[in-house]
Amino acid sequence: MSQGRIITGDELKADVTVECDVCVVGSGSGGAWTALELVKQGKSVVMLEEGGYHTRREFDMTEPRAFQNLYQELGNRATDDLSLTILQGRSVGGGTTVNWCSTFRTPERILSIWKERHGIDTLSTAVLTPHWEHIEQRLHVAPWPLELINENNKVLWEGLGKLGYERGLIRRNVNNCLNLGYCGLGCPVDAKQSMLVTVLPDAVEQGLTLYSDCSARVLDWDGRTVRSVRADVLDGVTRKPTGVKVTVKPKVTVVSGGAINSPALLMRSELLSEGRVGQRTWFHPVLLMMAEYEHEVNAFRGAPQSVYSHHFVDRGPGKMGYFLEVPPVHPMLASIVATGSGPETIELMTKFKHLNVMLAIHVDGLLPEETGGTVRLRGGGYSRHSITYDFTDAHWEAFRHSCKEMAKLQFAAGAKMVRSLHVDPVTMSSVNELDKLDAAPFAPVQVKVATAHQMGGCRMGKDPSTSVVDPHLKYHGLDNLFVVDGSVLPTSLGVNPQETIFGIARWAAGHIGQAV
Amino acid sequence: MALQCFAGTARPPSNAGNSPWRPTGRVKHAPGIRPCILRRLMKMYLPPPGAKPTRRGVLKKGLLGGALLALGGGTFLFTRKSVEVDLPADGLLVLTPREFAIVSALAWRLVPKRDGFPGVDAVQVARGCDRILTMVDATAVDETKQLLLLLENALPNFLLGGRLSTFTKLSTDAQDAVLREWQTSRITLRRTGYTALRGLVMAAYFASDKTWSAVGYPGPLPGIHDPNAPVWKGGGAERPIGNGTFREELLAPPAAVDGGTP
Repeated sequence: MSQGRIITGDELKADVTVECDVCVVGSGSGGAWTALELVKQGKSVVMLEEGGYHTRREFDMTEPRAFQNLYQELGNRATDDLSLTILQGRSVGGGTTVNWCSTFRTPERILSIWKERHGIDTLSTAVLTPHWEHIEQRLHVAPWPLELINENNKVLWEGLGKLGYERGLIRRNVNNCLNLGYCGLGCPVDAKQSMLVTVLPDAVEQGLTLYSDCSARVLDWDGRTVRSVRADVLDGVTRKPTGVKVTVKPKVTVVSGGAINSPALLMRSELLSEGRVGQRTWFHPVLLMMAEYEHEVNAFRGAPQSVYSHHFVDRGPGKMGYFLEVPPVHPMLASIVATGSGPETIELMTKFKHLNVMLAIHVDGLLPEETGGTVRLRGGGYSRHSITYDFTDAHWEAFRHSCKEMAKLQFAAGAKMVRSLHVDPVTMSSVNELDKLDAAPFAPVQVKVATAHQMGGCRMGKDPSTSVVDPHLKYHGLDNLFVVDGSVLPTSLGVNPQETIFGIARWAAGHIGQAV
Repeated sequence: MALQCFAGTARPPSNAGNSPWRPTGRVKHAPGIRPCILRRLMKMYLPPPGAKPTRRGVLKKGLLGGALLALGGGTFLFTRKSVEVDLPADGLLVLTPREFAIVSALAWRLVPKRDGFPGVDAVQVARGCDRILTMVDATAVDETKQLLLLLENALPNFLLGGRLSTFTKLSTDAQDAVLREWQTSRITLRRTGYTALRGLVMAAYFASDKTWSAVGYPGPLPGIHDPNAPVWKGGGAERPIGNGTFREELLAPPAAVDGGTP
């Protein structure tokens, strides 16, 4: 097998048409593993990635450059009413280029729910374990040692210890990590074992042709067959189409654009599954609390996520659970996320080095009344879609609960001030003031809600009348189209999703290859 | 002339400054204000009759609902002047001079002068906003422009805040009050608008490395980033060692990465 190639948009001056066995749309956690396994099977594979090919040469550890190059909509993707901010990657490597390296296997509880409620009998811990073992070895997945956790994670660790809550150390996909703290801005030393520096180059070495800066716009299909994938070449800076087109004519197509862009591509192609495409999107909605400490926390420094707690992940029937982690805190994103008036924000930023930020990541998609998020095409929009999310009473109950628990943890770890991210922030100077959160409004655009995990929108399931892809990830109604990414998950996970998607992709590549 | 509607009007509702109307669909209008204007305003801000006062009703048409904003965003604007400000030496790429003036005024209020922090002029925040907008979806540019014009528009400021002036011409105290109204409004659309504009300005300000010393942010650690690192694209070329596994000889890791189980 001769070596493949990465072709960047600036190299494409004239229209291109290529034939191949498999076209994979998207180079993130789903597309990368699928492509690698397919080239290993000897298939000719062409990958289209709308983001640019950005490498450590450009990873200069500054926020503006990172958000411009590595995030969807410069990091400004959101629901239409800005009630939920969506942090999502967009470059070669997808989310894995900018995520915070947290690696969890799919919880048994979730796989059971998928089997019981969605008829997914193909995926189980037994089926996925050999894939997870291989993946963990290739990506050097290992628990981050307690003696290396940064001050920001230490706040969570100590708070959890003081309150007697369950706590653990996160397993990270890093190799010779320097504990710098810039995972979210692109690892400057290739220590993070993202798809960008591991699985994708492995696949290129074995024959993958990867077109970056190529936005797949339409799948042409007739009868039960996808005939071609048409893509626009995008300008490297403005991200607008240059006018050059790439057309791929594959035997099999794999859509791996993630839970927002995959449904959008299907909708542009009039593959709607009777309206189910883009429905039931799950976001792991995140609530944040900020705390000020006497000592310096320097939450921008060191491995960003190393401590977690699943203490509240299952809060019993009718309640939404959540898990606790912390984010890295760099000034630009912190100031945007912070909420409040201008003077309040500047005042807060004077304490920047002393701030801890905590995350409560809510497990959506498990309660019967939930419908989750909806992705729709937006008239005149190119990369921007209409996105809505339906918050239920269970969301708001859980959000209030988690904010109070985070404040308790932050005070237990010695905070002198804890602040919510309401549009009109709630500040508390001791644990005796938690009732201020009882009085605070929990409603859309009253309190900051964010997501770094996008799931669903092309959900898998046995019943074609309630799902988009079958339990083998084949699109219902077409013979040669598969969806392999977070969009197929029928619920959220209760853990950071990258390893779930890695595992499903590596598993799916086996039978996708047989469909060629 | 739409402005004639204001001729000889009484004061707006006394509570208008602090407590914008509840989106109930049944709104008592201010004495002296023509119902036609109120209807238009209601269309801008309020859900259709009978709709639940939630974002489902208000925002069904999308972020800041382009059509809703267009109803009132520009009408009165051009009868009342904005403050004129100096434009960037290298020009504007997206914003008009008028929109640039609005962003400038907004930036001074969202990032007020404070010891140790560079001014928004030193950081060229308004220019930064213009440059950010070159990289976003056309629909987001349109909505941002509409939002700026809506902020500037004297009409809602008058009806909801009792101020008969464009935003850029208000005193700084009055500008702060307008922003406070948007920030804490009962109307989701106004909070959404505040969140959008606040985010744009903060991004443009804190994107600058001139702000780093003010907040104690050290910026990138020296000696780590290699601007000449090899970029491997396959095609038969040998894959560099650094691609996939960091070269240990460059810097020793702080400690072995192995530890207990979670």
